[in-house]
Amino acid sequence: MSSVLFIALPLLFGFATPLLSKFGKNGVAFTSTALQLFLLFLAFSLIGDKPYIEIISIAPPLGISFVLNKVSLFFVTLFTFMMVAFSIYYLSYRKTDAYKNETKFFILLNMLLASAIGLVLSSDIFNVYVFFEIAGISAYILTAYKKTPSALEAGIKYLLTGSIASIFLVFAIILIYLNIGSLNLAIIAQDFETLPHNIKVFISILFLIGFGFKVEIFPLNFWVSDVYEGSTALVNSLFSGIVVKAYLFAFFHILYLFLPSGEFSTFLIYLGAISMIIAEIVALKQTNLKRVFAYSSLGQVALIFTAFALQSIDAIQGALFIILAHSIAKIVIFLALTTIEKNYKSLDINVLKELNAPFLRVVIVIAMLSLLGIPLFAGFIGKFLVLKAFAVEQIFPILAIIIIASLLEAVYYFKLIGFMFEKGDRKDKIKVDFTHKFIFSLLTFLILLVGITPFVISGFLLDSANVMLDSISYIAMLVKG
Amino acid sequence: MFEFFNQPEVIKIVVTVGSMTLFFVGLFGLLTQKHLIKIFMSVAIMETALFLLFIGLIYKQSALAPILTDNQQGFINMNDPVPQAMILTAIVIGMAVLALGVSFAIEYYKLTGKTDIDEITSLRN
Repeated sequence: MSSVLFIALPLLFGFATPLLSKFGKNGVAFTSTALQLFLLFLAFSLIGDKPYIEIISIAPPLGISFVLNKVSLFFVTLFTFMMVAFSIYYLSYRKTDAYKNETKFFILLNMLLASAIGLVLSSDIFNVYVFFEIAGISAYILTAYKKTPSALEAGIKYLLTGSIASIFLVFAIILIYLNIGSLNLAIIAQDFETLPHNIKVFISILFLIGFGFKVEIFPLNFWVSDVYEGSTALVNSLFSGIVVKAYLFAFFHILYLFLPSGEFSTFLIYLGAISMIIAEIVALKQTNLKRVFAYSSLGQVALIFTAFALQSIDAIQGALFIILAHSIAKIVIFLALTTIEKNYKSLDINVLKELNAPFLRVVIVIAMLSLLGIPLFAGFIGKFLVLKAFAVEQIFPILAIIIIASLLEAVYYFKLIGFMFEKGDRKDKIKVDFTHKFIFSLLTFLILLVGITPFVISGFLLDSANVMLDSISYIAMLVKG
Repeated sequence: MFEFFNQPEVIKIVVTVGSMTLFFVGLFGLLTQKHLIKIFMSVAIMETALFLLFIGLIYKQSALAPILTDNQQGFINMNDPVPQAMILTAIVIGMAVLALGVSFAIEYYKLTGKTDIDEITSLRN
């Protein structure tokens, strides 16, 4: 039953918010956070039971079905954890600088959480489309929430690219239904490889274009930096912590099911590598901090894309590690940027030179080192595993590209770190309140914990990688009901 | 003359060619138009073309509507209800996104007075 709770409770909360708002804005804020905390505890309580598999089917094989196995549990836990960290940060942030029409903001947050979890859990291609759109819609509104010209501009760009993406996804789903006559992922997966080659390639291309916009892959990622710049840093933490990761998982989950032999794997690997190197090169000359981290997100997401595309256990384990490390590091950085922006009213790159906040400085540096993949930080083990997987497969061009991209990343991260420690005039000291200190300390502690003792989680991630790649037992399980 | 058009094969060809034409009309509009509202219209046209294609190809003329009654207990010789439900959902979602997009465009016009997509470039550097 629990897998439905993860989707139903946040959605129900959204519908019930008009009633809850009778108790005032504080009531809504605290109930929302309490609900997310409850979901987090639920997810943690499930991690203990192993091996955990739960299938909810309503009238199989026609109806809706959700599958909660190890790898989806990993993503559910990650997303609820990110949302809890965000909510606790916001609870303190709203005392001084609350968003307008706050009840709407909480509805959107919960819709975003529900749809990200739904993307991960659903094993029905039409439900994937529905959650794809719900996540999109809540992200569009969150982007344009402030209703300033640049926020609206970003919202319009996001919405246009998103609706073009959904057209291609619908086209792919329609062709799949016309050829196979089912929407269930398992049944489609059984027949997909036997389709005529032309149709298979055509469907795959449509699918790649549809998801390509959302997983931010070159050349379909032109909108990303504009969206990050136009929206607030607060919301950006959700975009790079939750939304992209949900789309990435959904895309590769479906890809592994439909094409277990990895027909297009070489093409996807090189696509990811090209996006990575381009993103890192463009990031070098950015002057706005939100844009810098937008491009760094693009680079990291492309690295995850490349690793997933290899379709080997080691690479997937590495990719899951990078997902964990990147989500935590990016939420730290964007929340810290929110605090900086609130105090200094600017996010130009030069603002770091006058930054007067020792605590935030340390936190940002740790997060950046983790993104870089320095040993003893969370990002290292993931990058190492991915490099090892490519070395084992003897795909040396990709190895070279990953290393060059990391060096380029190092160039601009160390530039930023240099700015932060430059001697010179400083602005007024930023006061970081207790709740924020708690959240930042918790998140940086997690970065160091995963970095220093990766074995606490590597077994779980290895099992997750196995489950994710094992399409045969997934199909058998789902068809049996 | 109309009987010619009533043949299932002819209907399929008409549906496919017609909806694909409509799809490319939408795509052409998306690529050539500059006005924001017109771009949203083009997107809507592309979506509608896909819905028409799907419903048109899956519909069987001789089959019954998929409703169980006293006389009709099993799903025999009936049209497939799944595509209809699916397209209804997709229409609702498409409508919601379109309305949201148009409302963004209106708000943006109120603030800046711009509707031309080429002028909306404050975020590019």
